[in-house]
Amino acid sequence: MAEPLVRMENIRKSYGRVQALVDANFHVNEREIVGLLGDNGAGKSTLIKVLSGAVPLTSGDIFIRGKKVDFRSTSDAIAHGIETIYQDSALVTQLSIARNLFLGREPIKPPRFLNRMDQEAMNVVARDLLKQVGISKNIPPTTPIGSLSGGERQAVAIARAMHFDSDLIILDEPTNNLGVAETQGVLSFVRSARDSGHSCIFIAHNIHHVFQVVDRIVVMRRGKVVADDIDPKNTNVAEVERIITGMSDEQIHDAIVQGKQSQG
Amino acid sequence: MENSSIIQRSIARPEFGPFVLLVVELAVFWGFNHDFLSPQNISNILAFTVELGLIALAMTLLMTSGEFDLSVGSLFGFSPVLMWTLFNSGLTSLEAGFVVALLVAAFIGLVNGWFVTQLKIPSFLVTLGMLLVVRGTALFVTNGFPQRTWSAEGSWLAEALVGDFFIGPFRIYMSLFWFIAAAIALGYVLTQSRTGNWIQAAGGNPNAAKARGVNVSGVKIGLFILSSIMASLAGVISSLRTSAANPNSGTGYELEVIAMVVIGGTALTGGRGTIIGTVLGILILRVMRNGIVLIGVPGLAYNIFIGAIILGMMALHSWLERRHQAGT
Repeated sequence: MAEPLVRMENIRKSYGRVQALVDANFHVNEREIVGLLGDNGAGKSTLIKVLSGAVPLTSGDIFIRGKKVDFRSTSDAIAHGIETIYQDSALVTQLSIARNLFLGREPIKPPRFLNRMDQEAMNVVARDLLKQVGISKNIPPTTPIGSLSGGERQAVAIARAMHFDSDLIILDEPTNNLGVAETQGVLSFVRSARDSGHSCIFIAHNIHHVFQVVDRIVVMRRGKVVADDIDPKNTNVAEVERIITGMSDEQIHDAIVQGKQSQG
Repeated sequence: MENSSIIQRSIARPEFGPFVLLVVELAVFWGFNHDFLSPQNISNILAFTVELGLIALAMTLLMTSGEFDLSVGSLFGFSPVLMWTLFNSGLTSLEAGFVVALLVAAFIGLVNGWFVTQLKIPSFLVTLGMLLVVRGTALFVTNGFPQRTWSAEGSWLAEALVGDFFIGPFRIYMSLFWFIAAAIALGYVLTQSRTGNWIQAAGGNPNAAKARGVNVSGVKIGLFILSSIMASLAGVISSLRTSAANPNSGTGYELEVIAMVVIGGTALTGGRGTIIGTVLGILILRVMRNGIVLIGVPGLAYNIFIGAIILGMMALHSWLERRHQAGT
């Protein structure tokens, strides 16, 4: 089998005495949307924080395309192509769409010593990207983020990750607090990100949303990955809910095997 | 949004409110007393306006990045005292004293920025502490007495900073050109340069900016240094123009400068700032101070008007902001 895009091995993370992650193993393949599920406190967000460089791991290894990496900060992770999108926290509401897209990487107009942003170039790219992620409304790229809806903000954040060639886009609860139409919009942004060659990790409380978009479901419980190869096409919400809330390992195994058999 | 008319768009700009206020103010004062727009009075207003204005321009950038600086008034008093003390004691020439004063100011700005960004102490507390340290130093060094300043005549530094000449009936000081140059340069930095994008991001959402690799601490430290240097420069200009170096001068200027900036439409909470608005805010407060004296209101009542203007403009800005958020 080909080397996965990201592989996390035996990840441990403890906060004092609390063991948030206990030998968690997790991987994401190229061009794959992985749904990460688990109850509150199962370790999902800790796993994501470790992968996005927000918290250091206690022990374990992270490999990107087979190469071991060491993340000391979120910018380290971004430099390695891993972009995490938290709702509402990734964008500057006072700045325009184009200025947010290029924040920290603004193109400069010559002569360089004037340090002048090339705003036309930024607007052109921004307009193009908005179309690419599938924002149907005609929103000018000079619109401040503050006047966009929650779904549109997610789209801008996803577009930014796509443009700067993030290989892996992590979406933490992207559909929280969104209406039905907005949620469908975000799900389609995620699909278009995969179709253009990016991988995604999709975390959501609403299992139905996860089912609609992911290629593979991974379930965590008590700091461990307890199932990592659930095909959403061969199972149903009730089944996954049972795994999340906890069955014996044999039962999970049986469920997965059954799924694989019916797939074959 | 793109279809709305030019009038609608200019009304939506944060500078619109201050602009209208300034026009009304000028009209009212002129209506009461036609001398208000006499060349002599305009020259008087401009001379001191640009000195406070230099500080307000730097403060606009600092406040856009989400911080503010209460120590500017004390630096306004301290820097000329330091320059004249060095000069009078024969240690340095006037020009070298000026350079030393600016360097000391830059160091004070660096310390402010370091406390705020590295120790994570709110800028209100850091710069309040610095205000007392700097003012205290100025008083201690001078024993509270003004410094001798009469030997500046003919110095090229004095000529370059406050040399005066007449354009028609208007008496213009060189400091006006420094102010205009600073306004254009800082306006350019804020709206056109990538540094400006970082300043706004640092004030709007520092965590998002950091995640994109923006050096938020570096930006803020740089702006604290700029703020201190501008306050120092303004103090020296004022001292050369009035031939006075009083360790107490500049008391209370920090609040007047912050008021100028917020009246102009810069957000106190950071993320949004406008140099044009600040220039309008500077003029609004200085014209008010001059105008109410000319129309015969007791000068002591000045603060009543300033307070009312601040409250009124804040109400207007918050209303505009809510309209803006609603997407209309």
